[in-house]
Amino acid sequence: MSPYVSKIDRRTALKWLSAAAVTLAVAPTMARAATYVKTPKGYGTDPDMLNPTSPWDRIMTDRQLQLTAVLTDIILPAEGEHPAPSAIGVPDFVNEWVSSPYEQTKSDQKVILEGLDWIDAEAKGRGAKGFVEADSGVQMAIVTAIAKPDASAAHAFFKRFRHLTLGGYYSTPEGFADIGYIGNVPMESYPGPDATMKAMLEERMKAIGI
Amino acid sequence: MKQPTPYDVIVVGSGAGGGMSAYVLAKRGLKVLMLEAGRDYKPEEETPMFNTNAEAPLRGVSTPDKPFGYYDATVDGGWTVPGEPYTTAPGDREFMWWRPRMLGGRTNHWGRISLRFGPYDFKPYSRDGLGVDWPISYDELAPWYDKTEKIVGITGAGQLGLENTPDSPPGILHDTPTPRLHEIMMTRAFEAMGIPVAPMRAAVIQKPMDGRSACFYATSCGRGCSIKAMFQTTTVLIPPALATGNLDIITDAMVYTVDMGKDGRAKGVTYIDRVSGEHKSVTAKAVVLAASAAETARILLNSKDGRNPDGVANSSGTAGKYLMDTVGTDSGGHIPMLEGMPSRNDDGMSGAHIYVPWWGYQQQARKELPFPRGYHIEVGGGQRMPGMGIGDLADYSDVPFGAGLRKQMRHYYGSDIGFAGRGEMIPNDDCYAEIDPDIKDRFGIPVLRFHWKWSEHEIGQAAHMRKTFHEIIDRLGGKVTYGFETDGEKAIAAGGEIIHEVGCARMGDNPKTSVVNKWGQAWDVKNLFITDGAVLPSNPDKNPTLTILSLAMRNANYLADEAAKGNL
Ligand SMILES: Cc1cc2nc3c(=O)[nH]c(=O)nc-3n(C[C@H](O)[C@H](O)[C@H](O)COP(=O)(O)OP(=O)(O)OC[C@H]3O[C@@H](n4cnc5c(N)ncnc54)[C@H](O)[C@@H]3O)c2cc1C
Ligand code: SF4
Repeated sequence: MSPYVSKIDRRTALKWLSAAAVTLAVAPTMARAATYVKTPKGYGTDPDMLNPTSPWDRIMTDRQLQLTAVLTDIILPAEGEHPAPSAIGVPDFVNEWVSSPYEQTKSDQKVILEGLDWIDAEAKGRGAKGFVEADSGVQMAIVTAIAKPDASAAHAFFKRFRHLTLGGYYSTPEGFADIGYIGNVPMESYPGPDATMKAMLEERMKAIGI
Repeated sequence: MKQPTPYDVIVVGSGAGGGMSAYVLAKRGLKVLMLEAGRDYKPEEETPMFNTNAEAPLRGVSTPDKPFGYYDATVDGGWTVPGEPYTTAPGDREFMWWRPRMLGGRTNHWGRISLRFGPYDFKPYSRDGLGVDWPISYDELAPWYDKTEKIVGITGAGQLGLENTPDSPPGILHDTPTPRLHEIMMTRAFEAMGIPVAPMRAAVIQKPMDGRSACFYATSCGRGCSIKAMFQTTTVLIPPALATGNLDIITDAMVYTVDMGKDGRAKGVTYIDRVSGEHKSVTAKAVVLAASAAETARILLNSKDGRNPDGVANSSGTAGKYLMDTVGTDSGGHIPMLEGMPSRNDDGMSGAHIYVPWWGYQQQARKELPFPRGYHIEVGGGQRMPGMGIGDLADYSDVPFGAGLRKQMRHYYGSDIGFAGRGEMIPNDDCYAEIDPDIKDRFGIPVLRFHWKWSEHEIGQAAHMRKTFHEIIDRLGGKVTYGFETDGEKAIAAGGEIIHEVGCARMGDNPKTSVVNKWGQAWDVKNLFITDGAVLPSNPDKNPTLTILSLAMRNANYLADEAAKGNL
């Protein structure tokens, strides 16, 4: 596979930098009071909805981004007209997510970045130059091993990574086309399910006795 | 400096209560000044209608900056507002307070469910000896429900004849769009349990009216609606009020006191300009408070002077008391019957097309249920626009990754459903708001301190909700995926979490036990009116906003009548 090239253009990248440069005042914390404390470098409580930006710096190393690209595509390989995650920028999304300043994504930052470093080391341990360079057999063996449910950190990494890959992928128009989401188009009237579908449902309801 | 325009009425707040008050008063020819704490907001220009989650930071998920997701219309707020705290009394259960800072308030991102309260709901004490009766009956409010529904535009046409679940007179309501696949399935299962299902009553218009376009069955209403199909005061009530030439609006105006004259009448109000920090006073012949229930109480309680040591309009001592929310809990299920169904467009009018009105009035009358008041059920599911939650579907898949996973994702997409119970809370002495003795907001205004405790009535109801949801999921051949706990104490949502906060300045027949009379007019100050949810003496399961709007319309008309008679 050729190296992953970020899908983020220069203009957008500059926008992030300038937005991050704006100094943000931190609200005083008050004991037992529910107030809002601004997340430094967050997008704020009144962002421009029509021109969304995520103004924080990206923290993945190029190596981690390359690992991400390879792994997203192992999880959800291209199929027919449906592109691979790396072809539609999903690795950039994973980078955006783990780089986010918000509390909710902090635990993922650790799990994902450590997991990527681990998987690279694991490939080396199996004689490859690294996970990116490893042949498909080694890659598949490692991912198959960590996909098995257990209490290990490697499996926890797999689960979170897969969650981010699938969420990042299916929330795009390409993902909609694959999974079969056909909404978000204005219609004059709402048709509801068609007769064939209703008949299918009817049969299934009958089968369980309702 | 004297203000250039002499106003007849100052309206504080621009949400459901304030928006309707200003609309009625301006149309009746009174000169109105609306003061709104938040910024100006224009849904036509700002709503990200068709944007996908992929265009939003973090695929649009909730963050502390946007607690209901990036595209949610809430401006500068949510459970917390920068620099404007509130507190919970030590030892009490948490109360959560949702506040936006924008013109139109919470009507910009509300759930649009618009149910009429029924005849029992106005006389609950007479039925079971709990809580208090309202000073008005259903019949007194019914004509105002009619008028309000005609302006708002609400679905749910049809005559159901269900107990304590009033139908609107024919010709008022719009048709509800046809049910989605999972809604057809749920209807069957509820009916098998002997529980009737009703078409949703939602404030989403189905045919063009008053310069608004009909819903086009795409896009999420929580973002707002640029074509004005859903009801927001910013698109439906404020523009026609402005068009009369009788309404002026000042945004970023945080009102903190009602100013009293020596004659015992309200002179006007004082506010802080949230941008410049300046304090400004304005005067008018009458004042309407509609800053949202708890904030209205905060203004009353902070309006202390020599004659009103406990705050304005508070000789009864009940300002801030009898705060209520809705009882809420939810469960979800995975339904194999819905797996592998063909693609369909489940967008519809964004919210559900069906709901389940409370069905147990007769059982409760016979004392067969371990809780006295009812709840309705709201439903969810379908093949909705994918966001981050879609990743969970892989948990059902027996292909953990690689070739074959796409097929599994398609197979499971749209096979999860959810239920939410929304139940009546009975007012109690333990739930109230007062001024915190120590803490002030960034403007120096003392903040609210909440006290909260659920009673056995609500806790018993929450347990029943969960058991009902589990039964229905089971009847559908499915498995519960969240909301397992059936101990009501643990299942029940936090106070305020359902965002139906009402009470704090209740109406009544008796000046000793209520803040306002049946017209929303303060017993102590005849030119001071309250037109938000603060005046509700009880909080039936039916979501409160349609009733807040109808009361505001009725009471603003009364105010205009009194003004015309020279009685204020
Ligand atoms: C996500 C969500 C879903 C909901 N779903 C439903 C539903 O399906 N059905 C239903 O019936 N209800 C629903 N609600 C509740 C509904 O939004 C409220 O009942 C309704 O908006 C209350 O009207 P209000 O006028 O009291 O307050 P608001 O609409 O909140 O308006 C109050 C206004 O006053 C302003 N204000 C506050 N303090 C001050 C001050 N000191 N000075 C000046 N202005 C001030 C605020 O900024 C705000 O604009 C929902 C709410 C939310 C958030
Ligand atoms: S679903 Fe209908 S009412 Fe809701 S935002 Fe879209 S067009 Fe407007």
